Amino acid sequence: MNHLTSLKRVILLQNTRALMYAASLVQNELLTTQKMPWGTLLTNRQYKSMPTHGIGKYRHLLPKTLPKKKKDKIQMKQIKAATDTEFGVLNVCVSGYDMTLVEHYSQYIHNFCNHLDVKVVESYALPTKTTEVMVMQDQGTKMYVDGILKTHERVVQISEMKATLCPIVMEVLLKNQPEGVKLCVKEHTEADFQSRFKARPELEGLIAKVNN
Amino acid sequence: MAAPFRSVYRPLWRIITGSGRLTVGMRTFSFTENHFSAKNHKTASVGSPWTLHGAVCLQRLPVISQDRNPIEEEFSGLMQQMELERSLLSDHELRLLEDAARISRKQEEDYDSDEEEDYGDNEIVTAQDLEDAWEQKLKQFHPAQRSNGDKLDVSSSERCLADSLVLLIKQDVGSQKVWLLPQIQWKAEETLRQTAERALANLPGSDLKATFLGNAPCGFYKYKYPKDIQKEGSVGAKVFFFKAVTCSPKHLPLEKNSFAWVKKDELKDFLMPEYLKQVNRFIMSL
Repeated sequence: MNHLTSLKRVILLQNTRALMYAASLVQNELLTTQKMPWGTLLTNRQYKSMPTHGIGKYRHLLPKTLPKKKKDKIQMKQIKAATDTEFGVLNVCVSGYDMTLVEHYSQYIHNFCNHLDVKVVESYALPTKTTEVMVMQDQGTKMYVDGILKTHERVVQISEMKATLCPIVMEVLLKNQPEGVKLCVKEHTEADFQSRFKARPELEGLIAKVNN
Repeated sequence: MAAPFRSVYRPLWRIITGSGRLTVGMRTFSFTENHFSAKNHKTASVGSPWTLHGAVCLQRLPVISQDRNPIEEEFSGLMQQMELERSLLSDHELRLLEDAARISRKQEEDYDSDEEEDYGDNEIVTAQDLEDAWEQKLKQFHPAQRSNGDKLDVSSSERCLADSLVLLIKQDVGSQKVWLLPQIQWKAEETLRQTAERALANLPGSDLKATFLGNAPCGFYKYKYPKDIQKEGSVGAKVFFFKAVTCSPKHLPLEKNSFAWVKKDELKDFLMPEYLKQVNRFIMSL
């Protein structure tokens, strides 16, 4: 009898162990397939299933940036209608020696065009040109540097300005032009566009060699 | 003209290019071409009782900037002071300080000139000497006067250099002499802008090199002829105004009282009320 009971107990124990093992297996399976947010007993990390998951994400809200092209295309001139003519692309160049005046005036032009709903395509600066003023000495032939003048230039590019609006815009710009600042309104050409890029002498030399 | 235009302190350069170039710098002009060629002009309908006139609103642009308000003066003074206090010393100012330090060191008894570095030219021409030379040069420069007397006679185009002035002409309209903007009747087969150009060219002795700002008229005025002049087929006239600018107009060899350069607020002393109302709509006071 004792032998039997002990045997039974051993079997029972074994059974229970097996059962517990089986039960834990089943539990694990359940949890991994159903992802129930239960307790701290298990070692799965819960944050992906929390309601606040991904709370700091913003990359999906930004506009998709295309990979940057090397060169932009130039705007084509718009076809002018018979009565309601519009200009194509115009460059308003502001240049002068005093940088604050030049910059403020170009900003004024930009804001003015924005206010009148004239489309401003871009607004850029051309490189500063330095001029040395050399004066001949009174006694002698040597020239010495009298002063250095720097010419700054800013360009505001506008497009599709109505021809009826043009006289008004021009008049306001002319009347508000500060002293010492040059104003120049030109049509935009390919040459203007290319002049902004740096010259590549080696490339040009190689091209010349290839052509020759 | 009383006196030739003396050199202004900061010369005013304006360059406008349409398809041509207009340099308003050292007072050299070249006309802009009429890039948008005259389209086929619809001939006036046969039954129209209005005669067309083209007129030009010629403006002399302001030559100098306007004077500042007291508040603006104070503020600009304050800003300059602040910028001066916050700025760093320039090369020239550093050189001045070094020279002063060097001189004070020279005065001392145990002065050893071999210890000086980079002596070179600085001994011959110190920064202070340069400053003195520059002061001398500045004294030789005389800027032109900002105001030639605003109460000058109205026919001088050099009054009120800070404002823009409009040219008015005394013309015969009907039987009266009336002050108005130069106008002339439209001829067939020409654009209204060409009419306005002709109106300007017709002023005696005008090589006023004016630039027209565009092909579109800026204003419009219509008036009826008095009953006795009204024939069949002409009730009155319609005038279209075009804007033009000029920078340094020469003296017009007209009679003293037949033309005037006026500011916008002086227009009411010259023009008829109805005419003034229409003209005021397109004349901007800066």
